[in-house]
Amino acid sequence: MNVIVNGNIFEIAPNSRIEGLLKSLDKPLNGSALAVNGEIISRTKWAEYRLCEGDNISLFQAIAGG
Amino acid sequence: MLSNKINSNDLLVIGDKKFTSRLFTGTGKFNDQKTMVAALQASQSQLVTMALKRVDMDHKEDDILAPLIKNGLNLLPNTSGARNAKEAIFAAQLAREALQTNWIKLEIHPDPKYLLPDPIETLKAAEFLAKDGFVVLPYVHADPVLCKHLQAAGCAAVMPLGAPIGSNKGIRTREFLEIIIEQATIPVIVDAGIGRPSDAAFAMELGADAVLVNTAIAVAGDPIAMSRAFAKAVEAGRQAYLAGLAGQYQHAVASSPLTAFLEAGLLKESV
Repeated sequence: MNVIVNGNIFEIAPNSRIEGLLKSLDKPLNGSALAVNGEIISRTKWAEYRLCEGDNISLFQAIAGG
Repeated sequence: MLSNKINSNDLLVIGDKKFTSRLFTGTGKFNDQKTMVAALQASQSQLVTMALKRVDMDHKEDDILAPLIKNGLNLLPNTSGARNAKEAIFAAQLAREALQTNWIKLEIHPDPKYLLPDPIETLKAAEFLAKDGFVVLPYVHADPVLCKHLQAAGCAAVMPLGAPIGSNKGIRTREFLEIIIEQATIPVIVDAGIGRPSDAAFAMELGADAVLVNTAIAVAGDPIAMSRAFAKAVEAGRQAYLAGLAGQYQHAVASSPLTAFLEAGLLKESV
């Protein structure tokens, strides 16, 4: 199935969880936050949260700043 | 004794945390991560700011979080990039998830040229976030009335500016900072515009509870040495404030009893 991450389409296995998606994209779990279809998903749910076809994911990461 | 107060009990309390250092630092604009970490260590800062960014899927960002945590630093994520209250609230909630802290430096600046904070949107967001359990530290103009509203809204501190972000122009808002400091019952952290250690010392002499410095350290010729200089300046300014500065006078006030010496008539006898 396909999901959109920050405007890019990625094909992932059906029933993929958020944690699996981040690992497959080689993105760090620490320092990251994300929203699925505009709703922020707590990291405590990443291991079990099941993604659906067409989900629009916004992924954010902590960076240096003032 | 005052010296005891300065050396052992002069802790800064914000929300649920206590700080012995009154120099807060930003992590932006450093040339490389190694320099950033060394500079932060040299600053003895215990609270550092971070930003949040939408991930670029084609690039891998440096992991700056791990060395900060390893050094035991408290993290203060900001909402930089937010142009209104709605965006700032969303950014704060993301930052809470990303960094696992409910501390937030609330900054809303819709205008990219001067990066001046929007007071109306900032107050709106502060009211919401304080109720949502955040420890809110809003970046604001040096506006005493707004600072009172933010205090009433439940903010943990206020962060009035000295001059525009990154301008290094120093404390241009002195008159208003003094009023804010006089009125506030929450800590006042002077943020933005501090370009040199003497600016930081000056802010502390005015009675600021802390200062936040980023650009002036990060882009200095030697950021690590500059961090040390800022740490000393902040400490000196704080000690001067606690010691009680001597007043200013329009006329001279002799420091030596010269008049008594002349009145003794010794000059006449020696000629």
